[in-house]
Amino acid sequence: MAQASQRIRNFSIIAHIDHGKSTLADRLIEYTGALSKREMEAQVLDSMDLERERGITIKLQAVRLNYQAHDGKIYELNLIDTPGHVDFTYEVSRSLAACEGALLVVDAVQGIEAQTLANVYLALDNNLELISVINKIDLPSAEPERVKQEIEDVIGLDASEAILASAKTGVGIEEILERIVAMVPPPKGDDEAPLKALIFDSKFDAYKGAISYVRIVEGRVTKGTTMKMMSSGKTFEVTEVGVFAPSMRIVEELRAGQVGFICASIKNVKDTQVGDTITDADNPADKALPGYRKATPMVFCGLYPVEASDYNRLRDSLEKLHLNDASLIFEPETSIALGFGFRCGFLGLLHMEIIQERLEREYDLNLITTAPSVIYKVTTLKGEVLNIDNPSNLPTVDQIVSIEEPIVIATILVPSEYVGAIMELNQEKRGTYSAMDYVSKSRVKLIYELPLSEIVFDYFDQLKSRTKGYASLDYELSGYKETDLVKIDVLLNGEMVDALSFIVHRAKSYNRGRKLVEKLRGIIPRQMFEIPIQSVIGNKVIARETVNAMRKDVLSKCYGGDISRKRKLLEKQKAGKKRMKQVGSVEIPQDAFMAVLQIED
Amino acid sequence: MPSLYVHVPFCFQKCDYCAFYSHSLIDSPKDLISVYLEGLEIEMAKMQKDAPQGVSSLFVGGGTPTVLKETDLERLLKMIQRYFSMGLGVEQTMEGNPGTITDEKAKLIRSHGINRFSLGIQSFNDQLLSAVGRIHTAKQAREAIRRLREAGFKNLNLDLMFGLPGQTMDLWQASLEEALSYSPEHLSLYGLMLEEETPLYERYAGKTRGEKGESREVRGTVLEVDLLPDGDLQAEMYEWAVMRLRQGGYRQYETSNFARPGYECQHNLGYWRGADYIGLGPGGVSCLNRVRWKNIEEVHAYENLLRKGQSPLDELGKEVLSLRECMAERMILGLRLEEGVNFKTFEKDFGADLRDIYRSVLERYKNEDVFIIVKGDYLCLNPKYAFVANSILQEFV
Repeated sequence: MAQASQRIRNFSIIAHIDHGKSTLADRLIEYTGALSKREMEAQVLDSMDLERERGITIKLQAVRLNYQAHDGKIYELNLIDTPGHVDFTYEVSRSLAACEGALLVVDAVQGIEAQTLANVYLALDNNLELISVINKIDLPSAEPERVKQEIEDVIGLDASEAILASAKTGVGIEEILERIVAMVPPPKGDDEAPLKALIFDSKFDAYKGAISYVRIVEGRVTKGTTMKMMSSGKTFEVTEVGVFAPSMRIVEELRAGQVGFICASIKNVKDTQVGDTITDADNPADKALPGYRKATPMVFCGLYPVEASDYNRLRDSLEKLHLNDASLIFEPETSIALGFGFRCGFLGLLHMEIIQERLEREYDLNLITTAPSVIYKVTTLKGEVLNIDNPSNLPTVDQIVSIEEPIVIATILVPSEYVGAIMELNQEKRGTYSAMDYVSKSRVKLIYELPLSEIVFDYFDQLKSRTKGYASLDYELSGYKETDLVKIDVLLNGEMVDALSFIVHRAKSYNRGRKLVEKLRGIIPRQMFEIPIQSVIGNKVIARETVNAMRKDVLSKCYGGDISRKRKLLEKQKAGKKRMKQVGSVEIPQDAFMAVLQIED
Repeated sequence: MPSLYVHVPFCFQKCDYCAFYSHSLIDSPKDLISVYLEGLEIEMAKMQKDAPQGVSSLFVGGGTPTVLKETDLERLLKMIQRYFSMGLGVEQTMEGNPGTITDEKAKLIRSHGINRFSLGIQSFNDQLLSAVGRIHTAKQAREAIRRLREAGFKNLNLDLMFGLPGQTMDLWQASLEEALSYSPEHLSLYGLMLEEETPLYERYAGKTRGEKGESREVRGTVLEVDLLPDGDLQAEMYEWAVMRLRQGGYRQYETSNFARPGYECQHNLGYWRGADYIGLGPGGVSCLNRVRWKNIEEVHAYENLLRKGQSPLDELGKEVLSLRECMAERMILGLRLEEGVNFKTFEKDFGADLRDIYRSVLERYKNEDVFIIVKGDYLCLNPKYAFVANSILQEFV
């Protein structure tokens, strides 16, 4: 038994978004022959279209590779993929916890990024053996020596043994596989001990129910085992177990050290939470594996159907997405302006964008998204503490004792010439400086405390544009802090549009209120009548703009030969208008509700 | 009785804004016009043999009918008179370009039954004319008016355009004033529309002066031909013209059409009131009993089919209109008219009261100011909103 687990290596890949993780994974799969070239297209780790387009992994996956090493023995290498974005830090930490080693992939041109660094720390927390791989050495601008130095300076790893590779051309692939066999320790774990399986992902399947992707830490599991979720105590009967080879293949049993999946006719992915421990109900482990926490949404927005009749379809679609993504939460809400919709919670901005895009593309919904908000803690005169995730629910000023907002610790890695630009940006974003480190001669690590609401508000774009794209960011929630915040409401044609309300620091309120109405003036098309746009704090108007009445919208001629074409032109115009939301007497384009994000401070 | 339209798909040279089907004579083979006339004659004969038909009015349009040389023109006109005998009172219009009208042609046209002439002046400013590729000059326009009057035309329409590249309010006013000085019975004023796939579209799409009512140079006669007047300036030109023509004794009986009482164009009124029509010639469109079809455009193919005894219609251009589409067209065309849409005719033609069919739209637009007005048996658009009619009209499609 112990003999078998000696030939297992569980590893993952740590890399920044476009440093070539997916290509490298593809190459490893190809080299070990798990898939033919043709199958590569259809399968492989990034299975959603969106992931392919954006070049990122959203949903983790796993794959088993059988590799005959130079010593003649065949090893079972389990590659556990990790999502490469700050929104999914917790998921990353759980997949790392399922491994004994990790490939640290660094782009030979770009060097180390904040995201990579954050994940390296997670790997070190989990005592993973790290193998440095310098990728893209085929590029003419590659600087492997500089990057090696950076790995040594920034992370403190000995980079003299770093593998020089190109996932694109295949250079270094065999060396990587050999190094995994040699360096990554085989899993320990006693397969006679009570079952402990770490869930590092889950997926909903219409036929099999929620499938848990697991690493068996101790014990064994077979079909018929009564399994128990240690966080909730819920029990299920295992219907099948299997491995990813790379498509799902049923096996007799999974035992300590192995990576695979467990099906147990679980109806809801909520019952297979990432980070939870599965044990055997008949012979339970006394303690769960460490590190489990519930996924907590940080960013909220309202999602409304443009057509009120799509409400039920939107609910069904959100439920379907939720089946696969327990971190997406939603509950019904009503807006005076937008009607019935949902307030949805996301792990972060990217997560939010992905869900929106999937709803629109895969479920063909025409949606209005309101600007994202964070959760504010509001203490009222009555002594209640309210969690406000929708600005329009903020009590009136006379009811509020204090408002607290979420604060994050942000780590920014940037070439030293941009330190000034970052400091300036963080100043504007109400950041508090906490530390600065030269991680190499030319790169600096800055640590700031920042309000999460400022990160939600245009931070990424500013960071990119002010550093020509060289800065990278990682952050984690650190707590709440009382701040002087006010709510700005927007009136269109004298009527308040609740979905446009937002909460902002008092010092910035006039500026943002003014810029927002300017922006809206550009977005809202001219209509049959003049539309005043005002931003107000309480009853006080702080800015006003006017969309003039439309003056020309006419077919100048329309005669016999032309009637069909002109009718179709009007039909087309009408269809375009249908994509707008009628609020009172004003027609508002969908992007107006996100306008607050597009203004600069 | 349907009206009759005869399409003459030839121009000396196509104008830069024109999206209609027409051959430029400069690069057409010499015999193309003969081929066209051959085909047209067969089409007329075939039509009168298959389903003899009287017509309520005639419009010979194009293209530029007057680009035909006299013998061809004569053949065309004689052909029409032979197959469609029209009484004296029947309106018979031909349109033409000032650059192609000689004394002889004017007389010839008048002597073959044509009693109304529509002249494409567009502007009395040579720079504006050349900016949109018109072949004629202001001087030729003045001469053409004189020739047509001398030939005995007592019902004359002048087409003018506003919103031309570089046009200012002053230039527009000057053109309209000059047009009025010739006392035309009828005026058509068209705002320039950028149609896709025209040279003008390629040149100007997205290049208007002023955005959303920001300050614009409206006055003065300085030509900035690299910029098109924006919607606001066009609206000002239009509103001024509507006011000026009312003072001058013209009635605005349709969005773009103005006439002295009794000189409204009967042929076009037919389209706007939803009457049937027959369109002959390549690219001609007909609509009878809710079926609309279009002849193929290419002259040789058109003639070929006819010569083989076949129908020249373009299968792709055939459309069987649903009742709903017919109603929609009745509304969007009828609301262009000052008189509006007649409830009774609507009910007679469609078996339903338009106030029931469009109840929700009418109620909505009744509440917001008065976009739509009921006058006796008619439903009409508040003339104040004629130049922004699309927003309302699209509710009916």
